[in-house]
Amino acid sequence: MAVFVSAVGFGVVTAAILAISAVGFTLQFSVTNVFNLAFGSVMTLSGFVAYWLNAAGLNVWVAMAAAALSGGLISLAINEVIYTPFIRHGLNLFGMVIVTISVAVIFDHGLQAAVGPTFFSYVAPAGRAFHFADFVLTRQELIIIGIALVLTILVQVGLQYTRVGKAMRGLAVNASLARACGIPTRQVIALAWFVSGVLAGIGGVALFLDTSTFTATTGSEFLIVIIAAAVLGGIGSPRGAVLGALVVGIVTEVGAAYWNPELKDVLAFGVLIAVLLVRPQGLFSRLATERAITR
Amino acid sequence: MSAATQYYIATILVYICVNVIASWGLDLQFGVTGVLNFAFIIFQAAGAYTAAMLSLGPSSASGSFQHYLIGVHLPFPLPLIGAMLVGGALSALIGLITLRRLRSDYQAMVMLVISVVATLVAESVIGLANGSAGLSLIPNPAQALSGFTRQTQTWFFVGLCVICMLIVGAVMYALVYSPYGRVLRGVRENESAVEAMGRNATRARMQVFVIGGAMAALSGALLAQFIGAWAPSGWLYPETFVFFTAVIVGGRGSVSGVAIGAALVAVGIQQAVQYMPIGSDPTLLAALEWIITGLVTLIFLWLRPQGLLPERRRRYRRARPARLARAEVRDPVGT
Repeated sequence: MAVFVSAVGFGVVTAAILAISAVGFTLQFSVTNVFNLAFGSVMTLSGFVAYWLNAAGLNVWVAMAAAALSGGLISLAINEVIYTPFIRHGLNLFGMVIVTISVAVIFDHGLQAAVGPTFFSYVAPAGRAFHFADFVLTRQELIIIGIALVLTILVQVGLQYTRVGKAMRGLAVNASLARACGIPTRQVIALAWFVSGVLAGIGGVALFLDTSTFTATTGSEFLIVIIAAAVLGGIGSPRGAVLGALVVGIVTEVGAAYWNPELKDVLAFGVLIAVLLVRPQGLFSRLATERAITR
Repeated sequence: MSAATQYYIATILVYICVNVIASWGLDLQFGVTGVLNFAFIIFQAAGAYTAAMLSLGPSSASGSFQHYLIGVHLPFPLPLIGAMLVGGALSALIGLITLRRLRSDYQAMVMLVISVVATLVAESVIGLANGSAGLSLIPNPAQALSGFTRQTQTWFFVGLCVICMLIVGAVMYALVYSPYGRVLRGVRENESAVEAMGRNATRARMQVFVIGGAMAALSGALLAQFIGAWAPSGWLYPETFVFFTAVIVGGRGSVSGVAIGAALVAVGIQQAVQYMPIGSDPTLLAALEWIITGLVTLIFLWLRPQGLLPERRRRYRRARPARLARAEVRDPVGT
């Protein structure tokens, strides 16, 4: 029982990191319908921004805030400079998938060429350990869980009650109708990319804190797990992404405790495929068919 | 010609044949029919492992330094045929899971996930194919021919690869430029129209998934026999991207174009990087290769989305105003 409980504890930490990232990934997708496979590269790049600041002596949590800002700016820039022109050029959903992979490949390997194939880590003490029954969590892990809670609630409340959140949901349902109603679609889309990048930046630093060592490709490797969580919940639904993150996080860590730790992700992917066989649209999405890109 | 030069040329020829075969498999799926198979590389890997297991003999024979399933020693064409059967069967299995019910953007994502799962399983289940160390000492069928020098044997193997490529090419021409090929292109362009004409789009997708998977497996089998080794680090999921680039550069849906694209992208870029004056740091060279591949993809999608040798589109002038036909030719990659 003690093994199970502590595995669930680790699972909640993984789920917190996953939730931050998966909400960012899925929020942007719901508004624009671009499958952004460069999301992991944005995580890595902002993680490295935090690394350089941290190495210069800045506290890692302050560095995380800087990473959030740079993540948002990088994400916005990628959309303005590369994605939007390609969408205007007439590429559809699948052409855009190839574009985003190309961007991911260029970024990851560009960074690799710059920093080399070595392992990096932050200067950040994990802090004292807290015991709750059989849960053992460090101060660092508790902060990450807290950040995840605050961010996912903020996104949910923002989408539900603010004007711009409602505009985003409107775009997600019907872009041309939203434009006809006077919603400034371009600005809303730009904001979605920025918010998605901010979450990628925070998620990236949280991931690198959790894995303790990272390379130029850590973000893109983790992206597959993020996609699994987002698709499990039903892509485009932030609520679904949180639920998917919880399922994937806890399943992987409990699996690692009882089974081969190297195969823990396989278990999560198995859950994903099993769920999709029963419910092809994912847990929370209502759409059984894909939609075109928002132009 | 010195032995080293001969071996260099033979190696390049084998790599060209192998990559052309694999790119044709992906072209049939992605270029002609519009199936986004982001797990393409695992079918190449399945072929390579099968060919190895069917030709290495029992794992106890060489002192059990590597562990794998099956372990028999079959004569020449059987390992290649077995590889294609396994590649096709694996495609059928994965196709049944993904192609039948999922929306097409989920299909693409689930393929990515499956590619990663395959790597994780191959790396951590040692008894399957020797884990992350991979298999080595895979026999080359040409080296079983006695009475020839090693050099001649290498050229025999090049000949085998060329013959395989020609056969696969003939199959591609027969499939793509036929009424069946028209159904496949119809699935890519307008699925509902195809269904309205009484054709089953899902069945067509399944068929190209299996045929393309068998082609990928054949390419993997040949490559493993030539290098003599095969390990998970050689087929990580981004490798599939190289074949996508080859298809885009060559021209989606065009058989001869994709052959050129495969030679230029999968072999040409790597060779070009070797001759660049940037030193010989392997990490830097590999990174540069990937960056160039990514840039080439973006440049082609922007400037020439139809590829070097575009798919020829038949125009029915009398049935349709010229204005429409022209609009169709301009139609970029996305369709």
